[in-house]
Amino acid sequence: MRSAFFLLSHSMKRVRSLVLTMSFLVAGFQILLTLVAKSIEKANAFEEMSHVVPDFLRQLMGPSFVALMSFRGIVCVGYFHIAVMGSLVGLMIALATEPAAEIESGFTDLVLSRPLARHWVITRTLALILLCTGFSVFLMMLGTWAGLYWLAPKGAEWPAPGLIRSLALNLGLLMLCWGGVTAAVSAACRRRSVAGSVASLLTLAAYLLDYLARVWEPAQSVAWLSPFRYYSPLDRILGAQIPGRHLWVLVSVAVAGFALAYIVFARRDL
Amino acid sequence: MDAPAIKIVGLSKRYGGLLAVDNLDLEVSNGEVFGFLGLNGAGKTTTIRVLLDLIRPSAGRAFALGEDCQSNGLRVRAQVGYLPGEIRFYGDMTGTETLDLLARLGGQSVAPHYRGQLLERMELSSADLRRRIREYSTGMKRKLGIVQAFQSDPALLILDEPTEGLDPLMQESFYQILNDAQRRGRTLFMSSHVLSEVERVCHRIGLIRKGTLALLSPVEEVRKLAARRVRVFFEREVDRIPARFPDGYEIVEIQPQCWTVRARGALGPLIDALAGLPVRDLEVEKPRLEDVLISYYREGTP
Repeated sequence: MRSAFFLLSHSMKRVRSLVLTMSFLVAGFQILLTLVAKSIEKANAFEEMSHVVPDFLRQLMGPSFVALMSFRGIVCVGYFHIAVMGSLVGLMIALATEPAAEIESGFTDLVLSRPLARHWVITRTLALILLCTGFSVFLMMLGTWAGLYWLAPKGAEWPAPGLIRSLALNLGLLMLCWGGVTAAVSAACRRRSVAGSVASLLTLAAYLLDYLARVWEPAQSVAWLSPFRYYSPLDRILGAQIPGRHLWVLVSVAVAGFALAYIVFARRDL
Repeated sequence: MDAPAIKIVGLSKRYGGLLAVDNLDLEVSNGEVFGFLGLNGAGKTTTIRVLLDLIRPSAGRAFALGEDCQSNGLRVRAQVGYLPGEIRFYGDMTGTETLDLLARLGGQSVAPHYRGQLLERMELSSADLRRRIREYSTGMKRKLGIVQAFQSDPALLILDEPTEGLDPLMQESFYQILNDAQRRGRTLFMSSHVLSEVERVCHRIGLIRKGTLALLSPVEEVRKLAARRVRVFFEREVDRIPARFPDGYEIVEIQPQCWTVRARGALGPLIDALAGLPVRDLEVEKPRLEDVLISYYREGTP
């Protein structure tokens, strides 16, 4: 157990710069969004902006478009902005490919030639992903509230704390989900580049599938396969509750991914 | 009676269509220095990795210090020090951080005095240890690897090509470390390509060829199998070669005033055969392990 703790602290030390940078960037992005929302609010330009948006995009977003074209909506954009989602899922891929990286570098030989059970390598990755997801999402929420506290103009409608919390929870579970999928891939690979590429391609395919299903009806029959299907921030902004089933699906994929990672890593040749 | 330090029974490892180790049986006694030899791809590293439970055998079992390497791997590895053939550390860690981390992961106590002694012998100074490993040369990484394997003074040391990349002076220091460990009753299981090294430090050797054990013998016994080279120098050019040389002797090179003869057994019959020739001098080379082993590498028999 003590050895496993040392392994975890070693990994945390190695990834701290990456996690801190990424977390502060998304937190900073939230502050920036508040600044943008403030300037639009001050210029009273939400109406004007909505005319600029192309029709197909309006149709694609449906009623959530109206909700988005508000101070509250712009502040929440960070929780489903493609750059933020991509960065945070990318962070998960970077963390979850550590087992493959250690096999590739030969460090696993040095670690597992010591009295340390194999499952600790995956448990370490799981702990790392949980901690880093929690930290980055917490910092993002902190960025949102800090931005609102310092920058929100008087009279602007703040997003409710419950909305921010549920968006953060949903985003966090999406990150965990991809962490689990990547961990399963990583446990079976000998090279980080291979594990990372496979996980990235899966993520991209899932994202495109979800997007396609929104604009092309035949794709809807297989859209359930995409974890992004279970992340619906726009509905939440409109005031709908996040379906509990969506959260469970994301949790289940993460659990299944890590379970598979444990099994594969315990049985494979290193 | 104590269990052997290493016992391998009917071990096979198959990678798809390739049989890397084929029904290997091997026993290494406690306190022994065992040389595990073979060409690249012969199955040495695969066997070592099975002992450390880094790979799982297709058939057979491996035991170390009385424990099954697969079902009781943790207990085995608690008493093992391992030096991988290709050692790679994290480049952004310093030498000290690496040694400390590996000691902590091992959960074994590391006597600072002993570690200090190892570092001194490997000529790794405090300044070296404060540097990041990415600044280390191949030889320095190897030296650090040796220190990490020995630092907890384990009962069994498994060393894969230990002197690869070490300069001759460091090789000398490494042999001293080996001798000390052996004197303290530690068992050493080392794979090597350097036959002179094996000849010098090992009690017994096992030669693996295409996954099977082609030779298992004490070093002294193997040396006896080796033919000696005898160089016969003449006063003048000799063009008459005896029609028949005694059994066990073979002329391998003829120069105008010097023959090189490969001789097995006592030299008496050779001297008789040379009677009547203008012999000026005889030079007898010590039998070399290398000569026997190379023929094993090639053909499987000496």
